[in-house]
Amino acid sequence: MSAAVDIPRLLGWRRPAPWALAALLAVLAALPLVWRNQYVIELAITTLIWATLNQSWNLQLGVGGVWNFAQLAIFAVGGYAAAILTLRAGLDPWLSLPVGGLAAAGVAVLIGIPTLRLRGIYAALLTFSFGEVIRLLVISDESGLTGGTFGLSGVPGLGFERLDPVAAQRAYYWAALALTVLTAVGVAAFIRSPLGLALTALRDAPGYAAARGVSPLRMQVVTFAWSAFIAGVAGAFYAQYFHVISPSVMGLAPMSLFVAMLVVGGLGTFSGPLVGTVLIMVVGEWLRDTEQLRLVIVGAILLTVVVLAPRGLVPAAAAGWRRASRWLAEEPDASEAPGERAGVGAGSDPEGG
Amino acid sequence: MSSLIQAIVSGLVTGSIYALMTVGLTLIYGTLRTLNMAHGALLMIGGYVAWLGLQLAGIPPAAGLLLAMGATFLIGMAIERVSVRPLIGKPGFDFEMTAFISTFAVTVVLQNAALLVFGARNKALPPLVGGRLELVAGVSVTRHSVLMAIVALALLAGLQAFLTRTRYGLAIRAVAQQLDAARLMGVPADRVYSLTMGVASALAGIAGVLLASVFFVSPNSGDLPLLKGLIVAIFGGLGSVRGTVLAAFLIGLLEALVSLYLGVKWSLPVLFLFIMAVLLVRPSGLLGKPEEARL
Repeated sequence: MSAAVDIPRLLGWRRPAPWALAALLAVLAALPLVWRNQYVIELAITTLIWATLNQSWNLQLGVGGVWNFAQLAIFAVGGYAAAILTLRAGLDPWLSLPVGGLAAAGVAVLIGIPTLRLRGIYAALLTFSFGEVIRLLVISDESGLTGGTFGLSGVPGLGFERLDPVAAQRAYYWAALALTVLTAVGVAAFIRSPLGLALTALRDAPGYAAARGVSPLRMQVVTFAWSAFIAGVAGAFYAQYFHVISPSVMGLAPMSLFVAMLVVGGLGTFSGPLVGTVLIMVVGEWLRDTEQLRLVIVGAILLTVVVLAPRGLVPAAAAGWRRASRWLAEEPDASEAPGERAGVGAGSDPEGG
Repeated sequence: MSSLIQAIVSGLVTGSIYALMTVGLTLIYGTLRTLNMAHGALLMIGGYVAWLGLQLAGIPPAAGLLLAMGATFLIGMAIERVSVRPLIGKPGFDFEMTAFISTFAVTVVLQNAALLVFGARNKALPPLVGGRLELVAGVSVTRHSVLMAIVALALLAGLQAFLTRTRYGLAIRAVAQQLDAARLMGVPADRVYSLTMGVASALAGIAGVLLASVFFVSPNSGDLPLLKGLIVAIFGGLGSVRGTVLAAFLIGLLEALVSLYLGVKWSLPVLFLFIMAVLLVRPSGLLGKPEEARL
């Protein structure tokens, strides 16, 4: 066992072998060439968009321990900004991706500063109310700017539409994959940077971290902005790919799906949201024919995982793997050293509550 | 003028039903430190139980109230056993957030199970009593809403008596105030948790039946009451029963006035903006205790 402090590992990110990562990427990139099924590829694109959104949400909910439940509204803000500007102002669709991200980040900073005063449940309610205000304002909007309940349709898309349908879909797939990989790199860099360490410190021991000179205000605003930027880009991509953005992406029902993805995978770990997204999408597809039963089962999975492995499947699997390898090495099953914990749980404060 | 009086009367009626459905939320938060996201689902279940009783056995809604009360009492205890109890006392994660998510998962399961069993179509429940009551010239309310307010207020008074006069109620309050001290005095905390969830859920079930005759019963019929309940609970101060009742009436009146002057579609956005302002100015609500662990 290495004695050096391994920050990525401490954060639940087992440093993967470079060749394994490269192989995984190659398989993912080759997917549309190998599996020539339009339905599957469409599903894969959706999964990639959700994976991007979930990674951004995990940055706040898991790594930062900030109970932000406005993330879907922020995602929608990015989508609406991109859709409105490309439709009404003739903005270049590619440019609309970062612009959507910036719009989302602006809105998020607006909500991030007041949220700082609150903790836990109260922060959750403030952000959730904020998201609901945005949703209800969009639904009741009659000026035609956002299209009300039906949303905005006819968003032009990223220009792949000129190609034949199969090639266009592949292009979208690779673009979505690039977005997800870029986000993963960005999130990993953020977690591993001193900024990420400061954020985790603020989550686990707010008083101590503040006393050591970590500014809660600055950290919170930076996290909100960074996470919202990613969500906004994902929203803009969603609008461009599906050519439509509507208020149905917000609200309690979609939130249950995304929360399930995050929590089942493992909040606060790097790979948890990615694993959870794929897992829930696969389960959802498997039960595609029965819409209601699908959600019953997703809910049941969420409940089971929360109760049996509250930190999520990735940390639980990592702990199981460690135990198994220690058993194989015939080491005595000593109590784990604190630095060896795979996933640092979501904002734990053993004294509080 | 009569429309203003009408708005105030309807605000008071709404306020009493809000108080009934929120008092359980705040009671659970006070003892279990859990924001019970399954509370709305219990309202929905209460409505379905009364509807089933009427359809299958011809039980009138007034008796259906009792039926729903018993059913939701048991279901509430089961929810606590399944989704909250296993998390208590385990290290390594944030209890409040995890319990929030696990009760949310219960809601997802219950709502979609209801959709699977009963379908999406709204079920109508006849009012407890028919007819309208003329209060002043031009101001009238349905007899059902009057009865609804009376039932709600009677139950709240009963709850108050239960919490202050009986040993079980005192046990609940003891656990809410000082868990360790209560344990040292021999209060079985686990059973208190169960009882609290049962009582709170029974109140939600009754509120569900009362509301079912005004609106309808559908798998999602608990969503809006849950949202409004959260607003009322935060405004009143989580954990404070008296604050919750006061807040319920204020919110009911505010909603009625907004509907009167701005139109119904603004009532929810205004409520959300209002609660955002409350959270920023006074996060602990009307009568809640300021939070000790805030940064």
